Amino acid sequence: MSTENPYAQYHVVKKGDTLSKIAEEYYGDKMLYPKIFDANKDILQDPNKIKPGQRLRIP
Amino acid sequence: MRTAKMFVALAAAVLAMAACANQKEPAEKAVAQIESSLAEFRADAEKYAAEELKSLDDSISTLKAGIAHKDYGKVVTGAPSVAAAVTTLKDTVAKAKADSDAIMAAATAEWGELSQSVPQLVDALQSRIDTLSKSRKLPKNVDKATFETIKTDFETVKTDWTSATREFTAGAAADAVRKARAARAKAEEIHAKLGMNS
Repeated sequence: MSTENPYAQYHVVKKGDTLSKIAEEYYGDKMLYPKIFDANKDILQDPNKIKPGQRLRIP
Repeated sequence: MRTAKMFVALAAAVLAMAACANQKEPAEKAVAQIESSLAEFRADAEKYAAEELKSLDDSISTLKAGIAHKDYGKVVTGAPSVAAAVTTLKDTVAKAKADSDAIMAAATAEWGELSQSVPQLVDALQSRIDTLSKSRKLPKNVDKATFETIKTDFETVKTDWTSATREFTAGAAADAVRKARAARAKAEEIHAKLGMNS
């Protein structure tokens, strides 16, 4: 069982969010959205399908 | 009359020599006892009260010199105060050792927490810094100059953490904890500058 890193940052998906928008907010570059997708493969199957309320780890 | 005086002087000398000889065994026994008592905690005394030990060794040397000069009476008279100093030093060393053990136990306990939190913090920062290094632009809350400073400071954090773990492995728990605390404080500062605590 892996322990959650208390210093990791998380983003709770809001209506209208996309991984590109989130990547731009945290990294300044929307093209880095695969980083967020890869870090959340346990809850995301498709980078284009995120739902409000999902808690995504921002690596 | 003259013969009588000579006889009295001779008798006095013989008595004095006899008295002195009678003191030889108690004098040697007293010094042996002092050395034996001190030997029981000498190693700890060298570590926790080196100056006091040196002073006590000097006193024992003085007693031994008294034995060498057959000044047994002086040794027998002086031995109790040296024996008392041995007892005092034993108490001092025991207290210093207990204090040191308590500091070591506290440092070891704190190290347990630091050795978990600092690597977690370093991992989180490394991941973010690596990603931002690949970014064509930086996020709104971080300008280029700040990011350059952050990268330099982060390298210092990693170096300090490595140094702290090395010191802990070498047995210097208190120094290791001091360095690790400083590394964590610096890392938390970087974490905040990157806006990762929001």
